[in-house]
This record gives sequence, C-alpha cells and structure tokens, in this order.
Amino acid sequence: MAEKVSSSSKAVFALAGVLFLAASGAILGWFRQPRELRLDPPLSANLDRIKLMPNGISGSPPESYFAIGKPYESDAWNLSQGKRLYAWFGCGSCHGDGRGGVGPSFLDGWWLYGPEMVSIVASIRDGRPHGMPAFRDRMTSEQIWQLAGYVQTIGSYKPKVAAPSRNDDRQTRPAENRGPAKILFDEGPAGVHPDQGPTP
Amino acid sequence: MTQDGDGLRDSSMEGSELHRRLTAIWSTPSGLWGALSTVDHKIIGRRYVTTAFVFLALGGVLSLLIRLQLAQPEARFIGPDRYNQIFTMHGTNMMFLFAVPVMQAMAIYLVPLMVGTRNIAFPRLNAFSYWVYLAGGLLLWIAFAVDTGPDVGWFAYVPLAGPEYGAGKRADIWAQMITFTEVSALAVAVEIVVTVFKQRAPGMSLDRIPLFVWSMLVTSFLVIMAMPAIMVASSSLILDRLVGTHFFNPAEGGDVLLWQHLFWFFGHPEVYIIFLPAVGMVSTIVATFTRRPVFGYLGMVMALIATGVLAFGLWVHHMFVAGLPRLGESFFTASSMAIAVPAGLQIFCWLATMWAGRPVFKTPFLFVIGFMVIFVIGGLTGVMVASVPFDTQVHDTYFVVAHFHYVLVGGAVFPLLGAVYYWFPKFTGRMMSETLGRWIFGLIFTGFNLTFFPMHILGLQGMPRRIYTYQPEMPWSGLNLFISLSAVILALGFLLFFVDAIRSARSGSLAPANPWGARTLEWATSSPPPPYNFARLPVVDRLDPLSDDIEAVPVASGLRVDRRELLTSSVVHASPEAREASPGDSIWPLWAALASTLMLIWSIFSPWAVVWGSIPLAITLIGWFWPKGVPEDEA
Repeated sequence: MAEKVSSSSKAVFALAGVLFLAASGAILGWFRQPRELRLDPPLSANLDRIKLMPNGISGSPPESYFAIGKPYESDAWNLSQGKRLYAWFGCGSCHGDGRGGVGPSFLDGWWLYGPEMVSIVASIRDGRPHGMPAFRDRMTSEQIWQLAGYVQTIGSYKPKVAAPSRNDDRQTRPAENRGPAKILFDEGPAGVHPDQGPTP
Repeated sequence: MTQDGDGLRDSSMEGSELHRRLTAIWSTPSGLWGALSTVDHKIIGRRYVTTAFVFLALGGVLSLLIRLQLAQPEARFIGPDRYNQIFTMHGTNMMFLFAVPVMQAMAIYLVPLMVGTRNIAFPRLNAFSYWVYLAGGLLLWIAFAVDTGPDVGWFAYVPLAGPEYGAGKRADIWAQMITFTEVSALAVAVEIVVTVFKQRAPGMSLDRIPLFVWSMLVTSFLVIMAMPAIMVASSSLILDRLVGTHFFNPAEGGDVLLWQHLFWFFGHPEVYIIFLPAVGMVSTIVATFTRRPVFGYLGMVMALIATGVLAFGLWVHHMFVAGLPRLGESFFTASSMAIAVPAGLQIFCWLATMWAGRPVFKTPFLFVIGFMVIFVIGGLTGVMVASVPFDTQVHDTYFVVAHFHYVLVGGAVFPLLGAVYYWFPKFTGRMMSETLGRWIFGLIFTGFNLTFFPMHILGLQGMPRRIYTYQPEMPWSGLNLFISLSAVILALGFLLFFVDAIRSARSGSLAPANPWGARTLEWATSSPPPPYNFARLPVVDRLDPLSDDIEAVPVASGLRVDRRELLTSSVVHASPEAREASPGDSIWPLWAALASTLMLIWSIFSPWAVVWGSIPLAITLIGWFWPKGVPEDEA
C-alpha cells in the first residue's frame, strides 16, 4: 500500500514541481533581459540618431532604443558600467560625487535640460555652454548612453531597482540604490527646497 | 516516567496487532496533503537524497559544458560571461546543493535506523529544512536559467563580488542561496546531534555507536560551528551590496581579507563536513564486506574527532598568496600537514581490516577501493600544496583543480556511490544490478583518473583556473582535448549509474531485510523499513548488535501504541530515561519554509523585506507552535 501511495503522490509532486518551475521561469524571463556585453554595431550606430528639440532640450530617442528594451535606464549591468565611466572620464572633477562643484549638481532636484535620456545623451555627446565639453570623440555611443543612464540614476527621486550600490571608496553620500536625491522630493510640510544651481 | 495506566502499551501485543496499530499511528497519509505534511525521516531523507542527486546531474551537465568549451583553443561555444556563470554554478551547486545536503540526507535516513529509534529528533524541523533547501536550489537554478546566475566563483571573493564590481543581482543570488542551504544544514545538524545523544537504543553506549553515526555526529558539530561564519559573511556581503554598509570596504575601515577569513573559516571545515560522512560510509562498507569489525574502533573515533578539531585550524592555507606574516604561513603549513595524521590513521585502519578479513568484492566495496586509491593521491597533492613555496607556484592553476577533485570526488563521491549501492536495498526494498555496478565502477574510476590526472600536468604547465579559453600557442590544447574526451567516459559512468538507480527502484530484484549480512541496526528491520522503523525498539549489548538471525536481537517493550512514542536515553550509557512523544505530521513547516523563502528572496531587493517579511514568517511559526490543548508531551 505504501508503495502505491508514494508513487501517486510522487507523480503529483513532480507535476507540481515542474509547473512551479515553468511558472517561475516564465515570470522571471518576462521582465528579465539577458546581459548584453557588446551591442550589435548597427544597433549601436543607430543609437546616435536621437532627435532633439530645436532648443537642445528633450526630444526622442531612435526607434532602436525602444526595440532593445531601453536597457540604459533600467539594466544593472549598463548602469554599473555608466558608474565606472563616470569615474574613468573624470566627470567627478566638475560634478563631484553628483552634488556638483564647478559644474551643476545632478541630485539637487534641478535638471537644466530636463531629466530625459536624450537630453543627457546630447549633453555628454555634444557638450553644453559654460564649460561642458563634448565627449563625442572620446566615447562610443554605447558608452555615452550607459553614462547618461547612470547620471539620470543619481538624481532620480526614487531609487531604481537596478541602481548601482556604493563603491569601495570613502562614503560621501548615500549610494545610488539608496536614493541620494530622494529627500529633495519629499512633499512634507517642510520639504527641502534648494536654490537652483548655476544657470546655463 | 513509568507511571502506568495512560494509553495502550505494546507489552502484551501480538506481532500483527502491533503492526496494525503502529502503522495506523506512524504512517504518512496518502495524497498530496500527506506528502506535503509528512515528518517521516525516511520519506524526507529519500526526498533529500533524490533532490541532491538531481543537482549532481545538473552540475555534471555544467562540467560537460566547461569541458566542451575547453576542448580546443579559442573555442566559441560559450562566451566569457556565460562561462563565468557556469563555473560558479558548477562549484556552488556541487558544494552547497549536492555534497553537504546529500551527506546529511543519508544521515537523515540512516542515523535514526542505525541508533534504533523511530524518528529523527525535531521531525518538523527536518521537514522545514528540506523545503528550505529545495527553495534555495530552485532560486539558484532559476536565476541561472534567466541569466542571473552568480558569476563570481564559488567562494565569491570581494571586491569582485562586492557592490562595486558585482553588477546586478548575481552575487546576491549566490549569497542568499547560501543562507537557504545553511539554514537547512544547521537544522539537520541539530537534529542529528540530538538524535545521536538522546535517542539511541537502550544499551548503545558511546563505545557501541556505529562508525557512520559517529562520523555524522562529528560532522554535525562541524556544521554547527562552521556554518555561522559563512552566514555572517554572506549577510554582510548582502548588507554591503544592498544598504551600503562597509564591512568589506577598506576605504571606510572595512577589510577585504575579512571575507576570505570568514569564508574559509567555514570553507575548510566544509571539506571535512563532506569527507567525514564518507569516512563513516567507508567504515561501514569495509566492515560488512570484510566480514569483521573495523580494526581500531577507538582509533577511528579519535581520528574522526581529531580531524574535526584540526579542521578549524587550517583555513588560512587557502590564502597563502593573499599576503600573510611568515609565522602564520608556517603555522598553517604545519597544521595542514598535521591533518594527514588522522587521515592516514583511518586509511591504515581500513587496510588492516581488509588484511585481517575476508573481503567480498561486491560493487560497494569496489567503490571503497576506488576511494582509497584516489583519496590517497588527492591527499598527497594536498600535502604538496600545504607547503607555501609550492602553493605559490600552483595557486589558481589546474593543479589545484586536480587536487580538490581528487579529494572531493575521491573522498566523497566514490564512498557515496558505494553507499548508494550498499543502502539502496534498505531505501527502496530492491537491489541494484551487480553487473551494471561493476561496469559503472570501471567507467567512473577510469574516466575520473583520465579526466583529472592530466590536470596536474596542465597546472604545472601554468594553465590558470577559471579561464574560458586559451590561445593556440599555449602548450595545453592536446591535454585539454584528452581531458574532454575522458570526461565523456566519466559522464557515461554516471549516466549508467542513474539508469541503474531508476531501473532498480522500479524493477530491481526484491531485497531481503539484510542482503549483505551486515551487523548494524538498520538491517534489523524490513527493507524498506515500516513507517515506525522497529516494531519493538532494539536493545544493544555490543558493538555489532546483529547476528545472522535478525530475530535474535533483544528488544525493549512497554511503549505506547496509541501515540507516536519513542525512547530517550542517557548520553553516555544510553540507559533508557523516558518515553517521549514524537511530533505528528504538520503542514506548518512547509508554510514556514515558504514564508522564509519569500522574506529571503525579497530581501535581495529591499531591506524592508526583513520587516514586512517577518510578519508572514511569524504567522507561520505561531501556527507551527500553536498549543494543541494537550499536555506538552502528548505533542
């Protein structure tokens, strides 16, 4: 009798297990995209074709950006690459740890050209008045998008799920995944209202 | 605890009446609900073993992928990123999801039978530990399936695994999987210690405990003392990564070497957590197939304990190239070499047993002989890498890969396969094929040596570990191709083993209660054992309590048959102390495991999971421990 019982319950077990596995796999696979270490060259060339508004603020990214699933804003690998690029290309020498210095801050709640990816990409690629150099000839398009995604992450009012964590450096502000700019967006009775940074 | 009049006793009951009543009270109800809520150590043990072997098969497939990629220079079957995940998964899976759990699983099944009791101590905790283990395994493998498998090596060194370089959730998955398996391993360790100390059959004093049980007792103490280190380590790693603590950040006063110390303070005893159960298995198999007790019982037990103690004094030999003071290097070299003494003692005791006995070369015994050959080679290279100058040369090369595969596969998997052949009749009531078994042993032994021996040479030629490919100019391609081809032989052996196991479980020849003429208590009951293990608890008066006539084992009577009841006995002399109730089936361990799973996985994403996730966990634990309205010992 014991044999029969265990074999029928085993079958149910196995079935339940397989179903559970399949369901979890499907759910995870649905919102998960594989890590893309190097974008296809045609796609990466296409990333350059952003359409800006005439004043250089906002616009629309190329269709291909949506086709690959907007990875530069939401993908942990690209954001962490962006964080490294931020250090490697000396962004900190003007923008500090994101709180600004000679250049404007990224987490004071003000975006001089708006927080859209295209604006940030354009700022990095083409430069901006009052000292922002153009990195068009020093970085690949993919790197520019990665860096832009990271810069956007520094100042986002709610930490992104995939935002990078602290570096192995001295701590000067909470890491991006702790939402360093979060406090600026508090609506509370006595929220923080910093003055706007330097104007372009 | 001898007050009479409460409940129905077995004293005056006939065999069939006793069987009927014990079955009614101890058996697991049929159906899904019964399967999910069972606390029978045999059912849970079988599940554990089966699951662990599934993970072994999966890990084996990964190793074949590795060999496919390395078979030729500049191969392009697997990219570097996927390769990092694959070797990390292979190591993590084999260590945490296969080797440790499978040894504990064998103990869950066998220890209660070998000490002559009816269920493991804390049976609901046992059920809980299985579900937690399963959840941890699923977490790791599902993550790997969706390209989030850990890619930082099975020991996840910081800073590579830390917040700065370990992008995404891959290292978090690794760290949290550790938490799952450690929780389950700790739970099982506690159960085994209590079972061995307090539930031994009357008369089984410390010097009459079977060697396998001794080995599992020592192993369980190792688990209890080693695993907290890794839980601290993995929790600190997650904290560093998620909330930005600075345990491993040198710029803020943390220390990356702290990780290595914490990890290897667990990681080296881990090797013995895997090896000591194998020592017990080998001792059991040797005694049975040489038809005499193991030579030097006391020496064997002392060697087990000495190994257990020394295991905590040599973790730093994994860190010889990390930069150590000279005195530290010398100390850990000496202690690493010292552990060869108890290991050598064990080997010589087994040799003496064989020398003095009349060996019967059945499959389990063949695996034991294979174990001795391979483990001695692994031990010799172990003494070699214990020396700092040599280790500095071969550190992180394939020499080390060869060494630890010789030690781990030779020292644990060979005895385990022997043990599966040996105890299969007890687990399933059916024999595995002797003919196939010999083929399997031949294939695995040959395949193993052909696969891993050349890795010593590759290592001396300078081939580093964990590389996903190598250039054609390197003098490694010939040996690598040879290794990959040999791996096919090894894989064939394992495939055949799985075929034989599944086939035998369905249609192997029926096994008698004691097919090998063994002398330990698990063979004193039918194969497979009834839900209550022993109709009457055996009484032990010597080291090998079984004679050729199973019926001749003296038994104790007077236990109640209207509730789950077993005997507790004193630690040293195992004189009976009390009749104790054993908990019945419960679904709450499963709910508690699901609630823990929810909290642990959620906590990869948000620290608030620990707060909100503790609510369902508290609810399930309250349900688990809710007073039943009966005196406590009625359980």
